Amino acid sequence: MIRDFLRRVIALMKKEFITIWNDPKSRAIIVMMPIMQLLIFSNAATMEVRNIDTVVLDRCQSVESRELLSRFKNSSRFRNFYYVYNEKEFQKELDTQKVQIGINIPNDFSRNIKSKRGANVLVVSDGRQTNSAAIGAGYATQIISGYNAELTGNTGTQINPTVRNWFNPNLEYKWYILTVIVAMLSLVSTLILTALSIARERELGTFDQLIVSPLSSFEILLGKSIPPLIIAMSLTMIMVGIVIAFFHVPFNGSIILFFISILISLMAIVGVGLFISAICNTQQQAILSVMTFMMPAVLLSGFISPIEDMPIGWQYLTYLNPVRFFMVLSRGIFLKGMEIEDVITNLIPLIIIAAITLTLASRTFKRKLG
Amino acid sequence: MYTVTIKNLTKKFGSTVAIDNLSLNIEKGKITGLIGADGAGKTTLLRTIVGLLLPNEGEINVLGFNPATEKDKLLEGYTKDGKIHLPLGYMPQKFGLYEDLTVIENLRLYADLKGVTHDFDKMLEFTTLAPFQDRLAGALSGGMKQKLGLACTLLGNPEFLLLDEPSVGVDPISRRDLIKMVREMITPETTVLWSTAYLDEAHNFDTAVVIDKGKVIYEGKPHDLAPTPQEFENKVIDLMGGYNKEESLIAQNYDYHAPDVELTVEADNLEKRYGNFYAVKNNTFKIKKGEIFGLLGPNGAGKSTSFKMMCGLARPTSGTARIMEIDIKKNPERARSNLGYMAQKFSLYGSLTVKENLDFFALAYGISILKKDKKVNEVIEVFGLKEYENTKAEELPLGLKQRLSMAAALIHNPPVLFLDEPTSGVDVLTRRDFWNHITSLAKKGVTILVTTHFMDEAEYCDRISLFYKGETIAVGTPTELKQQAGANDMETAFINLIKESEK
Amino acid sequence: MKILLALIKKEIKQILRDPSSIVIAFILPLISFLIYMYGVNLDSVKVTIGIKNDDNSPEVATLVKSFGHSKYVNSINFDNMEDIKTAIVRSKIKGAVVIPNDFSTKLSRGQGVNKGADLLIITDGSEVNTANYVQSYANMIANQWLITSKYKMHLPRPLINTEVRTWYNPDLNSHYFIVPGSIAITMTLIGILLTSLVIAREWERGTMEALLSTKVRVIHIVLGKYIPYFILGMVSMAFNVFLCVCIFQIPFKGSYLLLFLISGIFLFTSLGIGLLISTVLKNQFMASMVAMSLGFMPALMLSGLMFPINSMPVFFQYLTAIIPPRYYISFIESEFMAGGVNEIRLANAFYLTVLGLILFVAVYKKTQMRLEK
Repeated sequence: MIRDFLRRVIALMKKEFITIWNDPKSRAIIVMMPIMQLLIFSNAATMEVRNIDTVVLDRCQSVESRELLSRFKNSSRFRNFYYVYNEKEFQKELDTQKVQIGINIPNDFSRNIKSKRGANVLVVSDGRQTNSAAIGAGYATQIISGYNAELTGNTGTQINPTVRNWFNPNLEYKWYILTVIVAMLSLVSTLILTALSIARERELGTFDQLIVSPLSSFEILLGKSIPPLIIAMSLTMIMVGIVIAFFHVPFNGSIILFFISILISLMAIVGVGLFISAICNTQQQAILSVMTFMMPAVLLSGFISPIEDMPIGWQYLTYLNPVRFFMVLSRGIFLKGMEIEDVITNLIPLIIIAAITLTLASRTFKRKLG
Repeated sequence: MYTVTIKNLTKKFGSTVAIDNLSLNIEKGKITGLIGADGAGKTTLLRTIVGLLLPNEGEINVLGFNPATEKDKLLEGYTKDGKIHLPLGYMPQKFGLYEDLTVIENLRLYADLKGVTHDFDKMLEFTTLAPFQDRLAGALSGGMKQKLGLACTLLGNPEFLLLDEPSVGVDPISRRDLIKMVREMITPETTVLWSTAYLDEAHNFDTAVVIDKGKVIYEGKPHDLAPTPQEFENKVIDLMGGYNKEESLIAQNYDYHAPDVELTVEADNLEKRYGNFYAVKNNTFKIKKGEIFGLLGPNGAGKSTSFKMMCGLARPTSGTARIMEIDIKKNPERARSNLGYMAQKFSLYGSLTVKENLDFFALAYGISILKKDKKVNEVIEVFGLKEYENTKAEELPLGLKQRLSMAAALIHNPPVLFLDEPTSGVDVLTRRDFWNHITSLAKKGVTILVTTHFMDEAEYCDRISLFYKGETIAVGTPTELKQQAGANDMETAFINLIKESEK
Repeated sequence: MKILLALIKKEIKQILRDPSSIVIAFILPLISFLIYMYGVNLDSVKVTIGIKNDDNSPEVATLVKSFGHSKYVNSINFDNMEDIKTAIVRSKIKGAVVIPNDFSTKLSRGQGVNKGADLLIITDGSEVNTANYVQSYANMIANQWLITSKYKMHLPRPLINTEVRTWYNPDLNSHYFIVPGSIAITMTLIGILLTSLVIAREWERGTMEALLSTKVRVIHIVLGKYIPYFILGMVSMAFNVFLCVCIFQIPFKGSYLLLFLISGIFLFTSLGIGLLISTVLKNQFMASMVAMSLGFMPALMLSGLMFPINSMPVFFQYLTAIIPPRYYISFIESEFMAGGVNEIRLANAFYLTVLGLILFVAVYKKTQMRLEK
C-alpha cells in the first residue's frame, strides 16, 4: 500500500523534474535568472541617497557662503555642483532633473551672520523623487546646522545622542535589501514553477491522462508540489550562500530554524501557486493570476511600509498574506537571530495558509472535471 | 505537365536522415496519394515542398518556383476571370485552428490571410458546419475540426493542394464527405497531394506514391497495383516489407491476475446533459470478461463523452458505470487502477522522451521499480520504438505517437482497456499488429472497449454498439449488424443503419 | 493591409475572450491604486519605539511624555534592556530610547566641560529604513523638548536658519509620486509579461504552421501582435489616468496629449521586449520566467521608482540606460508633478524611441517564416 503510494508519487515527481529540468535552456533560465538578478539588484538597489548633484545660487559670494559650500563639497553625499547666477537658471537646472537639490544663499547672508541677526539659507529639493527629496534635504540641513554649530562655537547645553544600530551596526542598506531580494526572487520562481505546472497540462491536454491513472488527487498534489519545492529550496539556499560568502552579511540565527522556516514559507507559496494553477485553463491565465496575487502580496508584506503603520483593516488583511510571514522570518532569523518561540508564532499562520491552499488546490482540480 | 518536380532531395535533422536522395514528379490535375509507414518522411516531404523546411541537398520546383527561396510567391494569390486564385493550399496535420475563435471567425480569418472573399455559404453547406457557425472551434468534435481545417485550406481554390492526413479520426460518412468536398471544390487543373493512412481512400486516387525510410518505393496507378482496395492494402503491405503475424509478445507476457468477475464493464443509464442538449442519453451496456466491445458512430455522436464518463474524466448527469464491479462515481481511483486508457488526442508528455514517458506510466500504474526496466524495454521492443527510445514524444510522427500512447496504456497489464481511436493515423502494418495484440489480449481475458473509424477493424470486435446523436441505435455482433442493415460490409451497414435511424 | 487587419481582429477577439488580460489591464491597476492610496503609508511613517527612563526627575518625565504625544512615534515604556531586546527581535518595537540616570543633572550643568547630556538611541538595524526614521524622530523629539524645557536658557541662538522647500510636491505627498509610478508598472506588465506569451503560444499550439502557409509575411506577424496589445495598453492607460486624476484626485500638471503620446512610445518599446522574448524562446514557461526576470523585476528595482538611480554604483547607473521604464518613470513623474518641462519630455521620448526601434528591428529579424532557422 505505502509502497505503491511512494512509487506513484516518485514517478510523478521524476516526470515533473524532467519537464522543467531536462532542457538545458530551461535549466539555465531557472538557475541563472534569479542569481543574476540577485547580483545586480543587491548592488544597485539602495535607499541611501548618494551622488547628489546640486545647483548653487550664491548671491552673497562671501567668506561665509564659500565656507558653507565647502562643507557641502567635503560631504561624501554630494557630487557635482553647478553654479548659476539667477533664479531662472536655478529653476531650469531643477526642472530638467539635472540636479536634485538647490542651495540659494541670499546676499545678506554674511552680513546677518556677522550682526548675529540670523541668516537664512534656502534649500530646494526635487519633489518628483519624493523619497530622495526628503532624504537629500535632510542631509543638506544637517550640513548647514553643523556649520551653524561651528559658528556658535558649540557652546550651550545640548543632547548628545549615541546611536546603536543593533544587528547592523553601520546600517548597511545592503544587509537589509539582500534578505528582501532573496525572499522576492524565491517567491517569483516558486510561483511561476507551480502556477504553470497544472495549467500547462490542461492547455496541452495531458492532464486527462494523469487523472485517469491511479494517482489520487493527493498523490498528484504531492508529485506536483515537491519538485518545485526542492528546486526553489535549493535555489534559495544557493542565494543565501552567495549572500553570506560574497556580501559578507553575518548570519545570526540558527541554520536549522532558518531552513525549516524557508521550507514552510515556500510550502505556503507552492500552495498558492498550485491553487492558481488548478483554477486556470491556460498558461496565460496562470501567469497573469500570479501577477495579480504577487503585486498586492508584496506591497502588503511590510517591505514597502511597516504593517503596524497601515490602517487596522488592512493590517488584518496581511494575516492572509504568506509573503508577510516569509519576509519577517527570513530577515528575523538571518539578521536578528530570532528564537524558536518567535519563529513558531510566525510559522503557524504559514502552516495554516499552506494547508488551506493545498487542500483547495486538490479539491479544485477534481471539481474542474465538469 | 508536372506541378512538382523533385530531384535528389535529401533532408536531415541532425544526423537522422528523414528524406534520402528522393526524386519524384507530381502530375498536374491528378490526385496523388502519399502512403508510407509512420516515420517514413511524409510530413517532412510535404513541409519541404511548401517551403517550411529547407532541403539539405537537391532541387524542388513547385509550379515554377523554388519553395526554399520563393515561398512567398507560392502563397500569393492572383486574379483570373475576376476571381482570386491561390497557387498553393497546405493543410498541416495538426491544423492551426484557433480554438478560442468560432467556426465562422476561423473561416473569416483564413480568408483574409489568403486574400480571398468571404463567400462561405457553399463551404459551410459542404462541411455541414452551417449550424455550428458560432460555436468555438475548441468545442467541435475531432471530425468537425478536420472538416473546418480542410475548409480553411480550400479557400481560394488553390491550384495545388497539399493535405497531411486530413482524414485522421474522421468517421466513414464524414470521410466520404471530405473526399467529395475536395473532388467537387477542385477543377480538372487542380493537383492534389494527399497523405493518408487509409488505403481504401488511396486506392481511389489517380496516383499512389509509397515512401519508406525517406525513399520512394512505388509510384503508379493504384489500380495497376491491385484492382480492389483490399488487395491494394495487401500489396502495399508487401511493398513495406510484408506483415507476418507472430504470436503477440504482449499477450504472451501478460498474466491476468485481476479478480474473476463476469461482467467487467457496465454502463448503467449513463447520461450527460448540457442544458437541454443530451450529449449522451440513456446509455446502458454490459461487457463480459475477455470481450472486445466496439463503440462505433459518427463524429460528435457522443462516443468520447461516454468514454470520459466511463473512466471518471467527466461527471455523468445521471447514471453510473462500473469497472470490475467498482463504481466509478463512488470509487474513481480504485476503479481506474484496473484501467488502461488511451485518449483520442495525444496526451503523453511532449517534452519527455519515449522511454521517460513509459517509465512514468509504469511507475504511476504501480509496477515495481525492479520490474520496471524489464517491462519498459519489453514494451519498447514490442511496439517497435527502440529506434526512438530517446526521442522526445513531441517530435514523433503521428503514427508513432499513437503507438506510444498504446504502449503506455498497456504497460501495467490492466484487466480492462479503454481505447479511444487507437489506430487513428497509424500505418496499415502497425494497425494489423495492434489488432493482433488486442485480440490476443482478449483471449487472455482482457476486456476491451474500443472506438474506431476503420470499418475493417470493426470486424475484429465481438460486439458492436452503434452510437448516434447520443443514443445507441443498434447492438450486436458484426454479422448481426450487417444482417440487420442488409449490407455486405461494415461500412455500408454503418451508413444504412444511421440513415434508418434518421427516419 | 487586409491580412494585417484580419490578424489584429483575431488577436483582439482572443484578448476579449480571456478574462486574464482584462484583469491585468483594469483590475490589477485598480487594486494597486487602492493599496497605495489607502493601504500602505509611505509618507510619515509612524514607528513604535520603546522608552527606558532611568532618570526620575520630574522634568525628564515630560520628555517621556512628549515621546508619548508625538505624532511620529508610538512609545512603550520598558524597565529593563532584556525586554527591549526581545521586543526588537519580535519586531514589536523598531527601536528604543534609553535616558540615563544622570540626564537631567548633566543638562542643568549647562555650559561647561561636559557639554550636554547623553541619550542612547537603539534601532533595529535589520530594517534600515525604519532604523533611520527612529534615529531622526528620536533626535527631533528630544531637541524639540529641549527648546521648550527649562534648560532652554542654556541653548545657543542659531545663526543660520535653513528653510527647506520641496518643489513640484510641496507637501511631499508620496501618493503624487507612487500612483503615476504604478501606471508605469501596469504598462510594463501589459507590454512585457502579457505579450511574452503570445507568440510562444502560437508555436506551442501549432497555429503557427498554418499561419506560415498563408500569404502572411513577417511584417504582418509582427504588427499583428504589436497593434492589438498596443490598443489594449492604451485603453488601460486611459483607464489608469482616469482613475488617477478623476477618482483619486492626483493633480496632473502636464499635457494629456503628450502624456499619451510618450506613453505610446513607451508601450511600443515594452512590447518589443515582450515579443522578442516570445519569438526567441517559443515556450511559454521559459518566456514568462525571462519576462519576469528581464522585464518586470528591473522595472521595479532599477527604474528609479523605488531606488534612486543616482545612488547606484556607476556601472549599474549605465546598466539602467537599457531599461525602458527608467525613461518613462522620469517622464511620467515630471509630467504629473511639474508639467511642461520640454527637455525632459524630449530626452526621454528620444531614448525610448531609439530603444523601441532597435527592439522592433530585432523582433522583425528574429521572426521565423519557416519551421526551422
